[in-house]
Amino acid sequence: MSEKYVIEIKKRAWYEWVLWAIWFLAEIFVLQNAIASGGELEPRAATLFWVIFFVLLVAGGVVWYLRRDK
Amino acid sequence: MAENKKKRLNRREFLRISGLGLGGAALATTAAAPAKSSQKFQGGKFSDPAGRPNRPWWVKTVDEPTTEVDWSKVARYDERFGTVRGPGFAGYVGEDEVDRLSAAAKELTLKGMLEDIDGYTLKDQALKSAHVGYGRSFMGPQRADTPEERGVPKWEGSPEEAARIIRAAMRHFGAATVGFVEMNEDNKKLTYAVDPDGKELVFTDDEMASEDDNYRYIPNKCKYVIAFTVQMSTETMRRSPTPLGSQTTTLTYRRSETIQASLQEFLRGLGYQCLSSSSTNAMAIAPAWGVLAGLGEMSRLNRMITPEFGPMVRAFVAYTDLPVATDKPIDAGIMEFCKRCKKCAEACPSESLSFLDEPTWETVGGWNNPGHKAYFEDASTCRAYWREGVATNCGICFAVCPFSKKDKAWIHEFIKASSATAPFLDGFFRSMDDAFGYGVQASAEEWWNLDLPEYGIDSNQPVMEG
Repeated sequence: MSEKYVIEIKKRAWYEWVLWAIWFLAEIFVLQNAIASGGELEPRAATLFWVIFFVLLVAGGVVWYLRRDK
Repeated sequence: MAENKKKRLNRREFLRISGLGLGGAALATTAAAPAKSSQKFQGGKFSDPAGRPNRPWWVKTVDEPTTEVDWSKVARYDERFGTVRGPGFAGYVGEDEVDRLSAAAKELTLKGMLEDIDGYTLKDQALKSAHVGYGRSFMGPQRADTPEERGVPKWEGSPEEAARIIRAAMRHFGAATVGFVEMNEDNKKLTYAVDPDGKELVFTDDEMASEDDNYRYIPNKCKYVIAFTVQMSTETMRRSPTPLGSQTTTLTYRRSETIQASLQEFLRGLGYQCLSSSSTNAMAIAPAWGVLAGLGEMSRLNRMITPEFGPMVRAFVAYTDLPVATDKPIDAGIMEFCKRCKKCAEACPSESLSFLDEPTWETVGGWNNPGHKAYFEDASTCRAYWREGVATNCGICFAVCPFSKKDKAWIHEFIKASSATAPFLDGFFRSMDDAFGYGVQASAEEWWNLDLPEYGIDSNQPVMEG
């Protein structure tokens, strides 16, 4: 008895990829500033950049999780 | 089906995680990128024939400086009326007040050492008084062999070549940035009429510069102006207003003495004259020459702010008869930012800095030189605070300035570029500067635990690459 597979390919809208790219670049930017602010001996700036980085990371993760099957 | 779906999901997850991993690796690399690129820059060749730095696109060269100047109203200043030196200051506040302020400064200095006040301890005072300089002279040490003494003709080259080798030499001596201006009948007025020691500065048609007991003679042929900056330590200045914080200023002046003497001897060795300050801040208004040479813009501090190092520099000047390729003023949005920021004026303990929205032609006192539209400061209250309030140089205005940043975090370049192109964002940037804790005074005691680079400055911080 042969098995039947169904491959479902969903094409995401182009703007969704652009938004993910912007999110990723923003993360790079914020992470660089977080690391470099530590090197600049600017503790408050470094802390704030780390907070922004993790908030953005979690926000991205939540959005991805909610949209993974859509 | 559910199992297949699960497998497909895992692969996507894997790809995403891989992507993030690669991104993370890239981030780790890019976080250190500025230092690497500056090292590469410092080892690279000048891309401009005159050795001009390739500044970023948002630092524009302009025909006129962002500070309006009415040359007909500019007069050669008698530097004895400045407030930095004793007699000038006493002229404004009176001898009795100077004595009272000096006694207060002495008392505070003693109290700081006896009670171990942060930044005023014996080791801080010892550091401040430790800087020994080379000394300054109008015509230089005159010790280097001239081409004549070596039996060779003097150095000849194009103005571009001359500018390039002077830049290369001066960077080597320790200057941060170097620019050139050709003197004319207008800007010649930036030369003091009288030096701080009372000697009159006179332009002559003599071939060679000279000086006697009453005069310093500047040959008209020495019409090429070399303006240069020497970097101060941002990290040290953050300890202002304390003797520890202010000693970076002292150190920079001492370093500049060596740079000045080296420049004078270098040009003598090439067969040319080089005239400069006979004492600290003598001969000419160096920041004004710096602005004309494109090293920076005037600011609310009524000092020059550079795109590279903000206000964390001291400006110096020399005149030579070696023809050099000249530079133009710049517009990097600094003066515009100052109009909206006012952080320095708010932080000034003696309220000596201007809160006006726009610069003005009206001077505050005799320590200001009229003829340019600026944010004139009250130097008498500033100097009084130096003595009575902190018993040392202050420097808070330099420390809190949003342009006083190191160059590691990308955000600083992003904001400088944005401010230069979209001034309406300046107020927001100022608020963010506060929110992110920039310019907050740091502990002086902590400074002694820092492993800072030589002179406390980042000498790898480049003159910006475009």
